[in-house]
Amino acid sequence: MNPYLAVAALVVLCGVVFLLPLIPALVELKREEDGLALKVIQEHAGEIRYFADGFRNYIKALEPTLQECLVSGGTAKGRMPDGAEYLVLGRREEAPLLPLEQRDEICPVVLATRADLVLPSATTFSRDIYAGGGFIGGIENCYRAILGDKDVRLGRGSRVMRWVHAVGEFRADEGCQLYGRISSDSAIRLHAGCSFLRLNAPRIETGPATRTEDQGKRTSSRPLNSPRMLYDHDFQIGAGNEFVGDLVVRGRLRVGAGARVWGNVKSGGELIIERDVLVSGTLISATRMHIGLGCTIRGPVIAERELEMEAGTRCGSPECPTTVSAPNITSAEGVAVFGTLWAREHGQVVKKA
Amino acid sequence: MIYVLYGIVSIICVYTARHYWFTLNRLFGFQRHPYIDIDTADWPPVTVLVAAHNEERVIANILSALMTVKYPGDKMLVVPVNDRSTDRTREIVDEFVKRFPGRIRPFHRVTGRGGKAAALKDAMEMVETEVILIFDADYIPGSGLIKQLTAPFFDPEVGGVMGRVVPMNCGANLLTRLLDLERSGGYQVDQQARMNLHLVPQHGGTVAGVRLSALREIGGWNDRTLTEDTDLTYRLLLHGWKTVYQNRSECYEEVPETWQVRIKQIMRWAKGHNQAMVTYGLQLLFGQHRATLRERLDGALLLGVYIMAPFTMLGWVLALTVFYQGVAPLHGVLAILGVTAYATVGNMAAFFEIAAAVRLDGNCKRIRLLPFLILGFTVSIFAVSWAAFSQVKDALTGAEFHWDKTERYRKAAS
Repeated sequence: MNPYLAVAALVVLCGVVFLLPLIPALVELKREEDGLALKVIQEHAGEIRYFADGFRNYIKALEPTLQECLVSGGTAKGRMPDGAEYLVLGRREEAPLLPLEQRDEICPVVLATRADLVLPSATTFSRDIYAGGGFIGGIENCYRAILGDKDVRLGRGSRVMRWVHAVGEFRADEGCQLYGRISSDSAIRLHAGCSFLRLNAPRIETGPATRTEDQGKRTSSRPLNSPRMLYDHDFQIGAGNEFVGDLVVRGRLRVGAGARVWGNVKSGGELIIERDVLVSGTLISATRMHIGLGCTIRGPVIAERELEMEAGTRCGSPECPTTVSAPNITSAEGVAVFGTLWAREHGQVVKKA
Repeated sequence: MIYVLYGIVSIICVYTARHYWFTLNRLFGFQRHPYIDIDTADWPPVTVLVAAHNEERVIANILSALMTVKYPGDKMLVVPVNDRSTDRTREIVDEFVKRFPGRIRPFHRVTGRGGKAAALKDAMEMVETEVILIFDADYIPGSGLIKQLTAPFFDPEVGGVMGRVVPMNCGANLLTRLLDLERSGGYQVDQQARMNLHLVPQHGGTVAGVRLSALREIGGWNDRTLTEDTDLTYRLLLHGWKTVYQNRSECYEEVPETWQVRIKQIMRWAKGHNQAMVTYGLQLLFGQHRATLRERLDGALLLGVYIMAPFTMLGWVLALTVFYQGVAPLHGVLAILGVTAYATVGNMAAFFEIAAAVRLDGNCKRIRLLPFLILGFTVSIFAVSWAAFSQVKDALTGAEFHWDKTERYRKAAS
């Protein structure tokens, strides 16, 4: 072979091998199939009522039918603009008579009513439900989503896959599994055995209703610029002591029973709050946090790994709602949170010890 | 000479391992987003500083966006810091002040030292709140961003907060697409991994926040630096304050659309970073302060990222020199194995990081542009090396730093 030709062939071959990985790059550069800016403004991620508001807009198309059925007491069937089948009920008594009376039945239609809605048990509602009146679900039901203009009550062992929003009070009986977002404009009550992820309401309580005093009114708001004390190792606030200022501990922190902390508290390690402690600001642990009986925390409560709350714990107040958040939350009955209770991975209500 | 080369190769290997550590942590480790769930709280008053120097093209966009954010109106004051603008910036700001009485209080600066840090320093006379948020004028915050950036300040250990920057003009040309990939790697992997591992997330000076009491404790803004954000990160760290990164607090920005502007930008970053390295490097590693051991090590590596460019170039020169001198490093066989291993794994570290970032962002097809990053890296390595060289020259001749404003490309809002 001609040596010049051989060299030229080698150069061409090397060039081809070099360019080969660039072919997809050149194609993408030319076609710009993925050249738009990353979508980062995600309203649904922040606003808990985002999907409920969307569903409310969606069923606006049913408004005349809902009104008509309420007046006439009849039912109506049809299809929504997107093709989904709907069923509008006019009277409370009709729901149990629907084609749902069999156990383990699946209801694949959008169910809507202006009246109260009482649903049978052991049924899967695979489409969203709207109740203009009160909503009472049977036991061991499975719901996709519920929007209630009044109170919403789920029967024992029910499951919610996406969301519930109640304008009135939301209540879940024992053993309910709430996988999505649960919000109420009034209050949320979860009984023992309920699991949850994200809850938001002016008042969230676990366990049976009890008369509780709004202690939040008695605590004053702490500004964010309190004097800061920083400790590199473990630290303890003695029982009954009073601590004024922001406290940052890089090790473990124990706050003794009955102590008063007038400021924000951060612990790099485990944070143990004994019974009847009052913290006027934020409570943060980079690992695990345990809040004992009858504590009052006024600001946000954040545990980066795990949070346990014992009975009588109150977080936030009606006047100053707050956020309680951790990947895993265990709450005893008798806990009250004013605002948001958010377990990223798993939240569980357990019976009082 | 051979030992200098060994030293350089060792440092490069440390950085390579760091790339892999961060990427693997981001892919498989525990992800820390401790403050992002705070959606209900007694929100504190905040001041939002908008740094603007001849920003007539973009200032209206950010002011409009800030007027629609979800934050209690009576607790948020926007302060456009109009730094000696000679275009219509002042006029546009004043129009907004009239449209939104009580919500915007402008700071028109007509004299003084140039640069963002100097402008922010002067604007502090307008600030009365504990929480200060900072945006450059070309950014467009989403409606939930102010709450997201404020939430970490409930933590009494937090002195600074940094959000994520996302290019909005990434489709303009090859450069913007490459910068989009680089930003993904830098934020989605680097910054978040540092957050996960309790290291040193870097304050970026925009889409960011700082606590007033922390700022006062460290002596306020340093107007003698080219990168006030890096300077702030290290001064906070040395005083026991944490800077935290919020990966889900995203905000759009404009990236440079011409290589000339990009080179100027990265040269300024490199000079500022190197300045911080000289100022804080030894103190960080060996001084008496509150930073942990891992923060000291990571902080030192972070300070060294830009000086690695001239070191790498020096390494290339030394490698060629010893080769042509006939020196066989590490008895030949070991060297061949080392070079082969590095060529297989080490050279891929930065690409692996960016590919992982793009994957985490859920973008599939833009990953195809990865090979073109060699172009971006090559330009950066020469620009950053030149910046280091000119910085040494300036130090020897006593020349002053000067601030180069990054050009904007958006059409002015009508």
